[in-house]
Amino acid sequence: MKWHRIRTVIRRHAYETRRNLNRVTDVVYWPILDIVVWGFFTIYLSSHETTGGQLVGFLMGAIILWNLFYGFQRDVVVGFLDEFWSRNLTNLFATPLTIKEYLVGLIIVDLVKISVTMIAATLLAWGVYSFNLFAYAWGILPFLLNLLLFALAIGLFSSALILRYSTKVETLAWSFGGLLQPLSCVFYPLAILPAWLAVAAKAVPTAYVFEGMRQVLQGGGVNWTYVITALALNAVYLALAAWFFSTIFQITREKGILVKME
Amino acid sequence: MVLSVRDLAKKFGTFAAVDGVSFDIQEGEIFGLLGANGAGKTTIIHILLDLIAPTSGEITVFDKSMRTHRQDILQQMNYASPYVAMPYRLTIFENLMIIAGLYGVPDRKKRIDEVLELFEITNLKHKPISRLSSGQVTRVTLAKSFLNRPKLLLLDEPTASLDVDIAFRTHDILLQAQKEEGMAILYTSHNMAEVQKMCSRIAFMNHGKILATGTATEVTNAILKEERDEPALEEVFFHLARTAPPR
Repeated sequence: MKWHRIRTVIRRHAYETRRNLNRVTDVVYWPILDIVVWGFFTIYLSSHETTGGQLVGFLMGAIILWNLFYGFQRDVVVGFLDEFWSRNLTNLFATPLTIKEYLVGLIIVDLVKISVTMIAATLLAWGVYSFNLFAYAWGILPFLLNLLLFALAIGLFSSALILRYSTKVETLAWSFGGLLQPLSCVFYPLAILPAWLAVAAKAVPTAYVFEGMRQVLQGGGVNWTYVITALALNAVYLALAAWFFSTIFQITREKGILVKME
Repeated sequence: MVLSVRDLAKKFGTFAAVDGVSFDIQEGEIFGLLGANGAGKTTIIHILLDLIAPTSGEITVFDKSMRTHRQDILQQMNYASPYVAMPYRLTIFENLMIIAGLYGVPDRKKRIDEVLELFEITNLKHKPISRLSSGQVTRVTLAKSFLNRPKLLLLDEPTASLDVDIAFRTHDILLQAQKEEGMAILYTSHNMAEVQKMCSRIAFMNHGKILATGTATEVTNAILKEERDEPALEEVFFHLARTAPPR
């Protein structure tokens, strides 16, 4: 064993870490996120009296809906990344294909994928844990719609950043949705958050979705104030994401980035 | 006129990749863009495909402006480059089905069989791209470029990774398509002999500018400032490489 070769291997990975955001998120981002989310969940458990059955319902519903949100925004970005990884963007956009047509096609594919995920997860929760989300389908539906709209906005935003900065920031596909998890109050109510964080959470549509979901599961019916607030926020975020994506796409054409992507 | 480029310029910051370029291509003509690496040939192709936005200048294809008729124009164009990849897990057939679908090619399966036969890769039809040699991938991209029967074909160093025999056969296929279908071709290459064989007119580029346009002999004489009867494009190339200051 020669130390200079070992040192060179270390240097090679140090260069990679410096140039590749994916490595940084693996080291720091996910452990911190887990501590924040499960820390708040622990506070919720120790400070509230919830029956075991209710808790199982909250957790199952949260896991299923969160996976839909996370999966949909990830699939929008990964669909785009697939074209980067295979260096196929030039082939696609040298044809009459427009970026709007491409995105609509991608969204339809992702909706099919997410429907399969939802059905499989719900059937599993029903069969193994006796938690039947189908029983709450009509109450959950308006929240589900909001969830997908916000996932689309996040997916478009992340895709735009990847368009601009290439695969150096591909980790956004997996990490940006995760960043919203503590603010979305997926596993605990909004009231658990410290005041300053609750203010930020109120700007996130998914916080209303999960608050609303818990209310539906408790038999409290659909909270239309939550639904409409989330819809209004989603309208703003979707408009901003679409504008951002279209601006970045134009910049990539001006800077010649589209033909150099790897 | 198939293509008209007027005063085309592209700057990346302060770097002028294309600097006031003008040229025309007539129906059924093979027009060569010649020049060293970084001369601006590929950037021009990318601008013509609307993948890069020009800084200034006007592009008219089939008498329509690229600014306002992108989809109509691209519908009648295609391109090939050995430097562009395709989804490598997909087979040749699957890749060509996607591209044919984007162009709305009628009777896609039949057309795919025709272009595969033309470029002698029918036996590879169901192989994934990842299992092909670079020469085979180049022939796939050429087959792709014929799918929609383009009236204007942009070829960026199309034979760069082909062996001499296949490169010669590819030349014949392109010349035949030009004659039979009246296809106009914009052809970039570093290979002087190839350009001389394939192109009726050429534009010699250096540092983003066109130095001379015409037949190979006219371009030779214009750049070397001599009166020769035979073209000497390699000599022109070396002359420019050794006399022009680097950018």
